[in-house]
Amino acid sequence: MTIETLARQVVDAPVRALRRSDLGAEPHDDVAGPAERWAAIMGGTALGLAGLRRGDWIGMTLVALSGGLLFAGATGLPMARRVRELEASHAVRLVPALEGEPASVQANITIYAPREKVFRFWRNFGNLPKLMGHLDVVEIESATRSCWKARGPGGVVVRWHAEIDKEQENELISWHTLEDADLPHRGQVRLHEAPGGRGTEVRLTLVYRPPGGQAGRAVARLFGSAPGQQAREALRKLKYLLEVGELPTIEGQPHGRSGIMKVTP
Amino acid sequence: MKALCWNGVNDLRVERVPDPRLINPHDVIIKVKLSSVCGSDLHLIGGHVPTMQPGDIIGHEFLGEVVEKGSEVLKLNRGDRVITVSIIGCGKCWYCQHEEYSLCDNSNPDPHYEEMAYGHGTAGIFGYSHAFGGYAGSHAEYIRVPFADNNCFRVPEAVSDEQAVFVSDAAPTGYMAADMGNVKAGDIVAVWGCGGVGQMAIRSAYLMGAERVVGIDRYPDRLQAAQMKAKAEPLDYTRVDVYESLMSITGGRGPDVCIDAVGMEADGADTGVGYWYDKAKQMAGLESDRPAVLRQMIQCCRKGGTVSIVGVYGGVVDKFPMGAAMNKALTLRMGQQHGQRYAPKLFDHIGKGELDPSYLLTHKWSLDDGPRGYRIFKEKIDNCMRVVFAP
Repeated sequence: MTIETLARQVVDAPVRALRRSDLGAEPHDDVAGPAERWAAIMGGTALGLAGLRRGDWIGMTLVALSGGLLFAGATGLPMARRVRELEASHAVRLVPALEGEPASVQANITIYAPREKVFRFWRNFGNLPKLMGHLDVVEIESATRSCWKARGPGGVVVRWHAEIDKEQENELISWHTLEDADLPHRGQVRLHEAPGGRGTEVRLTLVYRPPGGQAGRAVARLFGSAPGQQAREALRKLKYLLEVGELPTIEGQPHGRSGIMKVTP
Repeated sequence: MKALCWNGVNDLRVERVPDPRLINPHDVIIKVKLSSVCGSDLHLIGGHVPTMQPGDIIGHEFLGEVVEKGSEVLKLNRGDRVITVSIIGCGKCWYCQHEEYSLCDNSNPDPHYEEMAYGHGTAGIFGYSHAFGGYAGSHAEYIRVPFADNNCFRVPEAVSDEQAVFVSDAAPTGYMAADMGNVKAGDIVAVWGCGGVGQMAIRSAYLMGAERVVGIDRYPDRLQAAQMKAKAEPLDYTRVDVYESLMSITGGRGPDVCIDAVGMEADGADTGVGYWYDKAKQMAGLESDRPAVLRQMIQCCRKGGTVSIVGVYGGVVDKFPMGAAMNKALTLRMGQQHGQRYAPKLFDHIGKGELDPSYLLTHKWSLDDGPRGYRIFKEKIDNCMRVVFAP
């Protein structure tokens, strides 16, 4: 699968979410997936109708319950979270696995800055640790080759090389990892001028083939438990830095004694 | 320093906490002189907003003096007497550049909650839960203000502290309600809720040329203030039928503009079955917000009129009369205030004597009395409109 065809996969998202191989790539583990949400909505509707037909107090209780299910369905409350956790731990398997198919994540953001400015920032891969928390440093070795160092699970330093294979000034940067990578992946940043003077539309796509077993899980953890979230986070930081030149934060502000300071991503 | 901290539902405590410090280059530190309670705090205190964390300092409507500034702050100096808009705008993103500051892309450090619940993140707000950034609030001796050049406004000499403090939130929120309603000469405007924001909405509607403004509430002191100070026609919804009264005032047309200055905890514009239906669903977690005011506004508004919502909602509402709104071709407008857009204009009105928000301040107390202040504000004891803390 080429990275270009992946850009089209957005429309298939609900279907993909049902596939085992993509579950790990779901952006929010604590939000119900489409199947779960439709089950809640349809169950809620059926229950509500049954309740209304009864018309007595028990019926009204059913109607109230149906409202809860509809709400859960509509808002994505993780009602079946436990089931999904069990499934993720391979204790149960509800959806047949499609091993070996590449997983992909994509994030989109609009930055109120000219394309040249966004391109220049990303083209210097040395800037990427500012956007991706798991990266320690990216060393530039040549015009197209770079060495990436990251903190892996348990603080182990992981290192790999990447090569830029496609570059169109102010439009596109595409790169892939070289043979030494534990988690082979490809990445692409595509820039479009947003209509109406709204700045630059940035699309980040990452494609990787999740290896199976223990090693696979360890490497996946390197990308974080939610790679989609990480991709969005990276673009958000890019936007913060290019638009206001600082990362908004509440880290280090005062709070009461019973406060547990939240670490901002 | 001293600060008023939220520790759980209806559990506020004055505590000793570390002083704030500059974190980012666009920050300033303000020594707080006055800090007002706000009706929207009651939603947080009562547990209607789920992203509060124990230890959070609340408060978002304040006036003070700049005591420290970051390296990139250009417009402000130490010693400046300023108000700070309660909703934080970065000043640089597309929304801020288009004066829609409460939709700022960059001031909320943790927009995940909102992205999940609302589809997109909005601006950070001081002392207003972690969905809105988790910024420490102003009921304290000092507060850190990010993007200060965009959010702090120097108070003109002619404007007193007691007038200026409400330019932080209540005044621009009320002004924006009238502005979104596009109030013009000849309009009849109805304002639900005669608290601080409602009072300012009434005054603002008159400033924009409204012919008559009706203030709806049930507390005699608030109705009296609406009548005496804001020149509204008071309407006590526990004594008269709101729909019938508004029709009689407007020749059966209905108000041209209906303003919601109540929000999600409406305690009974609809005093009958509807109230208990919503209250029960809210308590059971099946409905987060009670939309009694919304329903009544849509019913009363004239055909083709505008419903303008500045009362705060957080989640989902039930039995929303979409058919009435659609078939009557109503315009619905809403949003958190873009105070940065209105602050200079409001200071101008206050300077000229056309607007005086200072009457909202009914109780000026020490911060040590914070929990008691919120109690009398919540229960509307002692004709309380606003308690303002002077730390």
